[in-house]
Amino acid sequence: MNTEGAFLPDIVAFCCAHSAYQAADSAGYLRIPYPENIRVIRVPCAGRVDVLHILKAFEKGADGVLVLGCHEGACRHISGNIRAKNRAQKANTLLEEIGVDGKRVEMLTLAQNQGLRFAQIASEMTERIKQLEGKHNA
Amino acid sequence: MDNSSRLGVFLCDCGNTMSKTIDFSAIKAKLERLDDIDYVAISHDLCLIKAQEAMQKDIRDRGINRVVVAACSPELHEHTFMNVLQRAGVNPHLLSMANIREQCFWTHPHKEKAAEKAMVQIVLAINRARLLEPVEKAEIPVNQDVLIVGGGIVGTEAAIELSHLNLKTTLIEKEAALGGKLNLFASLYPLQITPEEVLASKLKQVTESPNIDVLTSAELIDVRGQAGNFVARIKRGDEEFVRNFGAVILATGYDAQFASQLYGFETSTSIVTLSQLEEMLKSPAEIKKIPRNVGFITDVSDEHSRISTLSALRNALGVKEKFGSEVCILCKNLKVDGAGLEKLYHDCRNRGVIFLKFDKPPKISEEDGEIHIQVEDVLMPGEQMALSCDLLVVEEMVIPPSDSETLRSILDIGLDPQGFYQDNNIHLYPTFSNREGIFFAGNCHADLDLIRALTEASNVALSAYRLLAQGRVTIEAENVMIDPSKCCFCLTCIRACPHNAIREVQVDHEKRVAQIVDLACQGCGICTAVCPAKAIRFKDWSDDQILAELELVGAYL
Repeated sequence: MNTEGAFLPDIVAFCCAHSAYQAADSAGYLRIPYPENIRVIRVPCAGRVDVLHILKAFEKGADGVLVLGCHEGACRHISGNIRAKNRAQKANTLLEEIGVDGKRVEMLTLAQNQGLRFAQIASEMTERIKQLEGKHNA
Repeated sequence: MDNSSRLGVFLCDCGNTMSKTIDFSAIKAKLERLDDIDYVAISHDLCLIKAQEAMQKDIRDRGINRVVVAACSPELHEHTFMNVLQRAGVNPHLLSMANIREQCFWTHPHKEKAAEKAMVQIVLAINRARLLEPVEKAEIPVNQDVLIVGGGIVGTEAAIELSHLNLKTTLIEKEAALGGKLNLFASLYPLQITPEEVLASKLKQVTESPNIDVLTSAELIDVRGQAGNFVARIKRGDEEFVRNFGAVILATGYDAQFASQLYGFETSTSIVTLSQLEEMLKSPAEIKKIPRNVGFITDVSDEHSRISTLSALRNALGVKEKFGSEVCILCKNLKVDGAGLEKLYHDCRNRGVIFLKFDKPPKISEEDGEIHIQVEDVLMPGEQMALSCDLLVVEEMVIPPSDSETLRSILDIGLDPQGFYQDNNIHLYPTFSNREGIFFAGNCHADLDLIRALTEASNVALSAYRLLAQGRVTIEAENVMIDPSKCCFCLTCIRACPHNAIREVQVDHEKRVAQIVDLACQGCGICTAVCPAKAIRFKDWSDDQILAELELVGAYL
């Protein structure tokens, strides 16, 4: 959490190296700013992300987790994105069970050239977690 | 990390551009204070050969065996630095990169925050570097023979290309003769050469080549094994035999079918399909009455098909030449592209072919062998035009060959929603299947004109050549590996692997385990994530390495 001024949630984004990670790079090439609180973690395929990784992120202090993979039907590894979606759903259910809002986990899809979309996702997630924060503290 | 590890950090300020925002000397000073970092260097242009040579020298002279590079995106230069490590005598997998340019300096305008984030990213990359494991290279032998399924023009061309490259091929064809659809074509406009001439020259090359074994009236029964070592069972007549191959090329082509339900009428003596017309054009002497007016309808069942549009234009010219009839083509937009297609269109117009563009499908009625067409031209909305002709030619839908489903289950490959073979990635790997060593060529996986299909035949021949030419392949051994003592053979990974790269191995008479086939593995890590026993280790992306990047969440250094 940011020490100075307004609350800025910490968000971990697991990014598929074939799509979302390159979309994040693309945001850089286009100089599109997004909040600094996004921690991008490069993975070989969104399907590599385990429920364990998502839950550990919360344990380590993350306020939200994004799993970003290739668009459906365009996954470099055929079904990795579908698996990632199911895992995010599973993590979501587990979090709800212990009273954490499941909206803190989301799986979204991106293409390599969608730098603007990446920045939008980062900003939208930050805003959403900010709104949820009151609930989480209570 | 054991005590013998020496960690070196190389910072690059991208030609002094990043040093305006991020104080590199401060970062260097902070890093030097950390205990187990042996060397920190600042460079301005690590992507240039000169700086890489200096880096290589530093690594070698100082005995560094784990390297952290804080620079641009790993997508851009990971490979470059892996090569530097390789040249410096360090295992290239012992490299960790911090992306402080694209994902930090370029995207965060706030100077202090960008500097803080860069520092966090570098520390995380250092933590990750401590957990890296070397991945050794190994050479494995591969079978050099190639199996080509489908003896049409594409399969034949691929076999000829491979024979020039000195690889032996077995070409299997379900029909009694090679040639496929080309046997049915009346002409190859806009090419001047006739289909018979093309086939004759290709078949001559096939028979003369000692490297091509043709099996006609044969079919594939079963394929086991992985890239470099496929075991195929082939049936020919009553005999069945087994052959070994290193790669499989599928060139099974397409089928054509008249979509009568979309048109609302069936074919008859005066309504024929494009293939029936081609038969008529091939033997014009057998036709009782030469049609005076010929109408073509295309773009109703499939507007995007190169094959049917090209075939309509080609045969319109054929009709002009052989019958001398009046020709009218009813079409929507003729929106497909292709080599020489524009010229073909202009040739048609120059020969007097009339093109009529419709939006709503024309109404067709038949009376005493005369076809009446009611159509509204897009240029004259609201006005019905009445045409009549004595022969109407309708397009055919291009559908997958009848045996594609069988071959899919034999080879464990994917089909697209239309039932054609699914490319691994239509942009990046358009002739690769989801499995290493299985390739697609021609119309069995994409809608191609002849020239494109032949280009693809050469393309897959080269892909197969690249895999098999040396007779052995260098692989990264055991990057992903299954611990046999933890594996309980639950089949989860075998089912989950999108590339069919996991096989079963019999350890003793009781125990069976799953094992990764290094050559077929494409490194997605899906198996590592699904394994309920956590028996699978992915050295490049281990759980420890991924979890290490979750440290310092919320920290600002």
